[in-house]
Amino acid sequence: MAVGHGHLPEPVAALIRARAAVPNPHLDVESYDPEGDLLVLNLGPQHPSTHGVLRVKLYLDGEVCIKAVPYLGYLHRGVEKLCEKLTYVQITPIVDKNDYVAAFSNELAINMGFETLLGVEPPPRAQHIRALGAEMQRVASHLLWIGTFGLDMGGALGGGATLFMHTFRERESILDCFEVLTGSRFHYNTLQVGGCRHDIPAGWETLVRQTFATISARIEEYESFVRTNAIFLARTRGVGVVDAELALSLGVSGPVLRASGVDYDLRRDRPYGLYRELKVNVATASAGDCQARFEVRLAEMRESIRLVNLLLDGVPEGPINVLKAVKLPGTVKPKPGIGYAAIESPRGELGTWVVADGSDKPYRCKIRGPSLHALSLLPYLAPGQNLSDIIVTLGSLDPIMGEVDR
Amino acid sequence: MAVNEENETFVHPLYEALERFPGADVGLTTADRVLTWGLTNALWVFPMATSCCGIEFMAAACSRFDLDRIGTIARGTPRQCDVMVIAGTITVKMAPRVKKLWDQMPEPKWAIAMGSCAISGDFYRDIYSVVPGVDTFMPVDVYVPGCPPNPDALFMGIRRLQEKIRLKREGKWTEPELRPDTPGLRSPAIGRLGDPGRDACTSQAQLDAVLGLDPGGGLRRPDQKS
Repeated sequence: MAVGHGHLPEPVAALIRARAAVPNPHLDVESYDPEGDLLVLNLGPQHPSTHGVLRVKLYLDGEVCIKAVPYLGYLHRGVEKLCEKLTYVQITPIVDKNDYVAAFSNELAINMGFETLLGVEPPPRAQHIRALGAEMQRVASHLLWIGTFGLDMGGALGGGATLFMHTFRERESILDCFEVLTGSRFHYNTLQVGGCRHDIPAGWETLVRQTFATISARIEEYESFVRTNAIFLARTRGVGVVDAELALSLGVSGPVLRASGVDYDLRRDRPYGLYRELKVNVATASAGDCQARFEVRLAEMRESIRLVNLLLDGVPEGPINVLKAVKLPGTVKPKPGIGYAAIESPRGELGTWVVADGSDKPYRCKIRGPSLHALSLLPYLAPGQNLSDIIVTLGSLDPIMGEVDR
Repeated sequence: MAVNEENETFVHPLYEALERFPGADVGLTTADRVLTWGLTNALWVFPMATSCCGIEFMAAACSRFDLDRIGTIARGTPRQCDVMVIAGTITVKMAPRVKKLWDQMPEPKWAIAMGSCAISGDFYRDIYSVVPGVDTFMPVDVYVPGCPPNPDALFMGIRRLQEKIRLKREGKWTEPELRPDTPGLRSPAIGRLGDPGRDACTSQAQLDAVLGLDPGGGLRRPDQKS
């Protein structure tokens, strides 16, 4: 696995490469360093760069990491256990809080899981609202990621918080669209089994079109901002290279996998909902480093904006839910069975595995979050890297701790 | 007094200087007013951001809402900060860290519990791993309800905190009644695996319904519509 140190003079970089020749996540630190000369550094759990409450125990030789051990569970909220205590209708607002920057995708995944149990299919108008929401959420989530990635870079992008301020301005405008649609800024509780709860209000389409026209122009701005920035390129190019085989063996999906050259997107390869009729252009990159992940996410945002504009053209009239009495919590009672549904969330394959026992509550509800799998790359990527590069690598994997710990 | 705890006896040097000279102590009230003005309008916050409310805190600090314009700047270290904003669910594993960071903050300091999870645990309240409200292990000055609260609500909370600081320094503040039965870390209603009290899926019929499933036959995917 190549280790990138593009910003270092070549002799120094060669020395670092020689020191940590083979990154081994299961390195026995005791035998590697019997005299205890390594510096043990706890990154987190309260650290602005860990995107939440992740704790990483780093063994540092000088400034070069020898081993990294992530410790999870600082945000374990027992969501899967809580789902067993609630009825199918009550679960939707709970799963909003899992991946809290892409709440719409969570709702979509869990409700699709329930719908496979019930054997119902939402009406076309609800399908449109779902696809629209999912694509808008993808843009909002990636905007937040670009902003926080700029923060991880420190001063590389003109004073740290500059890009952050820019992307949050655009993200707020998307949240406004969601607020008009659902009445809530980002924990929507808008989907339910068999369809949606909120219909598109009058004039909403114009608002969304205007918003995304602005964002489309601004993405060009970010790109020019970043492409001409020598520091950004030096800190991302060749840093944190993910091998495609390693990524596949760890179950990584989403932009991280696509940036490593694996052309896999659930929206195209196992289509669900409206994506059966839509043609989705999947963005890939082959380098597998932080810059490739940045490029893939930028391309995905462009594609999502195209899809949003396409979907807004053809919203059909009709009902938004196939089930009538879904307002009462106990009325949804699937037959005993097992259902699995997976969607392409902004971070990858977000799956829901539900076991029903015939009552109005699920017997077991397993949520397969892509963040955990992306985060499991870190012990493989960190050895041999500088401390500052580890922060960038971790940021580029985009883990959301609410989804990792659940 | 520049501290908010009764047992501390730190006296600002300005007061000492004014008290040393006879006659100069008429300036004490003015000096006090100036210090209060400075204290209330430069509340640097330490975001103890664990989950969703942290994102909303970031939105509040960003360009549209802009916390900076009321003198509230987010800093990454507890040693520079006056206010801790606990934004998000605090788990049993995280709570000792929160307490430690709170202890590392210098006096005078205040705490804002942002969001239902920090206030009471919200719907995770009965889960085995979640602390039912941060006021079970540290003092909280202002509660900002919501799930998550809008940035506007956070602004309101900070304005209320400024009001509280001002009233307290002017001696007009009356402590609200303490809740007599503030819950501590209690035994969770949903037991851990293997606990005898864990009541979920105990009925035999329920178990049979699940154990009798054919995983292959029962497994349905979205593209395999039944």
